[in-house]
Amino acid sequence: MSKSLLVISRQAPWSGPSAREALDIVLAGGAFDLPIGVLFMDDGVFQLAPHQDAKAVQQKDLSANLQALGLFGIDDVFACSHSLGERGLTQPANAQSLDSEAIAKMIDRYDQVMTL
Amino acid sequence: MKFAIAVFSAAHAPSSRRALLFAQAALAGGHEIVRLFFYQDGVYGASNNIVAPQDEQDIARQWRELVNVHQLDGVVCIAAALRRGVLNAEEATRYQRSAANLDAPWALSGLGQLHDAAQAADRLICFGGP
Amino acid sequence: MSTLHVVSHSPFTDSRLDSCLRICGAEDAILLCGDGAYGLHNAALHTKGIKVFVLAEDMQARNLPLPDWADSVDYPGFVQLSLDYSKVNTWL
Repeated sequence: MSKSLLVISRQAPWSGPSAREALDIVLAGGAFDLPIGVLFMDDGVFQLAPHQDAKAVQQKDLSANLQALGLFGIDDVFACSHSLGERGLTQPANAQSLDSEAIAKMIDRYDQVMTL
Repeated sequence: MKFAIAVFSAAHAPSSRRALLFAQAALAGGHEIVRLFFYQDGVYGASNNIVAPQDEQDIARQWRELVNVHQLDGVVCIAAALRRGVLNAEEATRYQRSAANLDAPWALSGLGQLHDAAQAADRLICFGGP
Repeated sequence: MSTLHVVSHSPFTDSRLDSCLRICGAEDAILLCGDGAYGLHNAALHTKGIKVFVLAEDMQARNLPLPDWADSVDYPGFVQLSLDYSKVNTWL
């Protein structure tokens, strides 16, 4: 049986390539049918904010990559409710919001974890 | 026990040296390193062109030596490497760049190799940041 | 299942240690290394009640005293810790 991997993405969408490179790890795992989950926390929750305009800063629009998660069989998409609250963001449409205690329990269920 | 070691920082970062020393300790302890995978700024550690100051550790050279001496599988993520200008001869030709700065023992490959290593190993351990 | 969290950023300039403390489980441990060693005297770290380790060379380099509630490890110790815990989560 495959080992499961949780990728925790903590960077804002355009603070360098980190947000994209974290999603690339997730999507690559999905392409190989591996059990992968992704948690957005700290500034990573900004990746989920609606109506952003990547073109205004000539950056890659990551919303297509985020939409691809489902297509690659990655349904375990989470967002940290504390991080959302700190940043004045509402519950995202495309991620399940978890509080800190739920996150701790959730991390325990994965075989491996990477925090980018 | 089997380790997959992923390095996310350049050779001059303290975390790259820490990864190297961890790898050495793991091998000295009789453990196996399934793969060394360089991602994000870690790809810079595989560049041939690093000239470390004389009064500092040459971590890139020490990584190469570790891979050679122990015949480790040293993989550099091709997408991360291209973005950062770390190219082998094949990619330099493909993209018509003036020079290649990566060769053996490093191999350019995809993120699948990171996942493959994580699946094969007992522990996946990442190093990055300061 | 228990996780060894590895933090190498200074808690005085960076929020990784705070975030780590917020989401770590009761059975987890934290290894402070690099500039993370400056977190050795972080009050929140002690009151959280989880095991704290520090990489010996980083404590020594920075002349940081070891509190009685933390343990220092060398590299073979670091390797062993990574096996004692079910997984390692480095806060990159």
